[in-house]
Amino acid sequence: MKKLVALLLAAMMVLAATGALADIVICQNKVEITAALEEFAKVYEAKTGVPVKVITGGGSSDYNTVLKAEMQSGREPDIWVIEGPTGYELWADKIADQAGAEWTKYTAAAYMDGDKVVGFPVAVEGYGLAYNADILAKAGIDPATLTNYDAYAAAFEKLDSMKAELGLDMVVSMVAGTTTGMTWVTGLHNFNVYLTVGNKRNDTTYIDQVLAGKVDAERFHQYCQYVALLFKYSDPDMLINGTQDSQLAAFANGKAAFYHQGNWMDPSLVQLNPSFEIAYAPHAFLHEDTDGILVNPPSWYVVNENGNKDEAIAFLNFLATSEEGADYMVNKAAMVPAFTNVTLAPTTPLSKSVMEWNAAGKTYDWQQYKLPDGFGMGTLGAIYELLASGAIDVDTFEAMMIDAIASIAK
Amino acid sequence: MTSKQKRKLTEALFLLPTLLAFVMVIIIPFIYGIYYSFTNWQGTGAATAWVGLDNYKAIFQEPAFLHSFLVTLLFTVLNVISVNVVAFVISLLVTSEIRGRNVYRAGFFVPNLIGGIVLGLVWQFIFSNILPQIGTAIGSKLLSKSLISNKDTVMATMVIVNTWQYAGYIMLIYVASIQGISKSVLEAAEVDGATYWKRITRIQIPLMANAFTISLFLTLTNSFKMYDVNVALTNGGPTAVFMRKPVQASELLALNIYQTAFKYNNMAQGQAKAVIFFVVLTIFSIIQVSYNKSKEIEA
Repeated sequence: MKKLVALLLAAMMVLAATGALADIVICQNKVEITAALEEFAKVYEAKTGVPVKVITGGGSSDYNTVLKAEMQSGREPDIWVIEGPTGYELWADKIADQAGAEWTKYTAAAYMDGDKVVGFPVAVEGYGLAYNADILAKAGIDPATLTNYDAYAAAFEKLDSMKAELGLDMVVSMVAGTTTGMTWVTGLHNFNVYLTVGNKRNDTTYIDQVLAGKVDAERFHQYCQYVALLFKYSDPDMLINGTQDSQLAAFANGKAAFYHQGNWMDPSLVQLNPSFEIAYAPHAFLHEDTDGILVNPPSWYVVNENGNKDEAIAFLNFLATSEEGADYMVNKAAMVPAFTNVTLAPTTPLSKSVMEWNAAGKTYDWQQYKLPDGFGMGTLGAIYELLASGAIDVDTFEAMMIDAIASIAK
Repeated sequence: MTSKQKRKLTEALFLLPTLLAFVMVIIIPFIYGIYYSFTNWQGTGAATAWVGLDNYKAIFQEPAFLHSFLVTLLFTVLNVISVNVVAFVISLLVTSEIRGRNVYRAGFFVPNLIGGIVLGLVWQFIFSNILPQIGTAIGSKLLSKSLISNKDTVMATMVIVNTWQYAGYIMLIYVASIQGISKSVLEAAEVDGATYWKRITRIQIPLMANAFTISLFLTLTNSFKMYDVNVALTNGGPTAVFMRKPVQASELLALNIYQTAFKYNNMAQGQAKAVIFFVVLTIFSIIQVSYNKSKEIEA
């Protein structure tokens, strides 16, 4: 017994000692990048002499428990991860303002609280309409011209008329079924097109209107026409019965010219070995030109106001601006960096395209998660499915959507 | 203390652990649930405000809930008939002189051992992938599309899957009951020249009345509370239009309650729906049991 106690005490002292040695403690949530991040930490230490210790909590719920334990351990982490407003509000009084830090110059995706820059984007995810470049080339369509509704309408019609020649089963590979649980594609991601396309990041005009039960009539009308256009040139059976796998297979096997999914599908896409060039075209639903895809970080690093704040910010600056940092983010951790200065390109096609759009600064925000719980996937998703199945026409769709949005305010 | 009092005390003490568990996990949460249905509770912490009957009023103005209610009634009627007819027929089959009847008994019962979620996913694959291919091959217009994503046939798929799962279990009850009927009664009827059909309708069915009581009760409550197959097979979909609002064509009450509470994060309203669910189910069960009890006879 005594031995055990002594051992435990010794173990605790060793832990305490290593904790005290590290000048920067990072508490983060991505198990899959732990090894890469620890390696990068060693590189940083070798370069600057500042030791960095990485603590990882696996899975999001576990992570929050680990973070809370670390916060109470007497050695608060200097950098930790927040996944959105809930995480931010929980720790807001401990989180430092990083306005003016060097990294802020190279990104539009920082987590903002009013004028305060509080979160360093860990990576970005994005979606648009992925296209098969070979098919578009054969059909004589330049993807760079796909920046408004009329260009899409003409391109879809042309592709549809050349289906047999191009070996296509459908023009757009898209899913909208409730039985297959795919309504997040329509009710959240596609609806966000209405909310943010054409607007500056952090511009909340349209989401604020929706939360007040209203829509911008003209913009919304154009959006509904765009949804109808996408559905018209999708395969009706795929829309209702398609799963994430069958949707991807149709595109990867060259049976569809466009694919409505984000770069998180890259690992599965690469497994299917597509034999053609792939990139993203914008969800340009308006008659006037909008040129950008929808990009957002899934999580942000925040810095502890009471910790080794300057060292922590220096570390983040190094991560964002150095070659080593770019190598770590892109090659080691297989992430899409949120920074415009990083020129290193990911090798997987969708992530590569997200990176290019992001580097060009042509991105629009994600605001679909500000909708009330269940509203996007449930209430709106059901209406999209009705249009997809042909049960209602586009005018009824528009009226039902407006009606559903009006019910939020009640 | 007299020995009688002592015995009573002992009995009470023996009862205590079970009673305590019952009160803790059934009675108290039940009372809390009813209380929360009158508040705007959000699932964490204490309820913040008493809202009276607002949750209940909102529910009855909600087309999705009314639709779920009707769909659940439809499913219950179809499913009770389907399960009991199939179970009764196969119980006659496996109690006849047919060869290998023990194998059949085991075979019909096996689906009941598979969990509803697994079963739902397996059947979803059959309905969405295998049947359409067969349908296309034989040129059937109805079968060439998934029966699950068609709002007019989705309830039929629910009944088929649940019958497949549950009929074997109900069959066992009928088998036990059939075996309990005295052979001499049936033999006497056969000597008197009663046909097979007459023997079933005039002797077996009346003598099996208590088995019907329990089987109907089990299938009624089981159908009414159906959740696992619903969620795995159809996920409530596809979408249909009801009272000019989008609703989920196969979303039964239990799933509707779950979605209200956890998908829409509207705990208090979900709780109010659960209270209504409880009251309706209790009324139906009492009516059914008292009706069937009146039919039971002794032989």
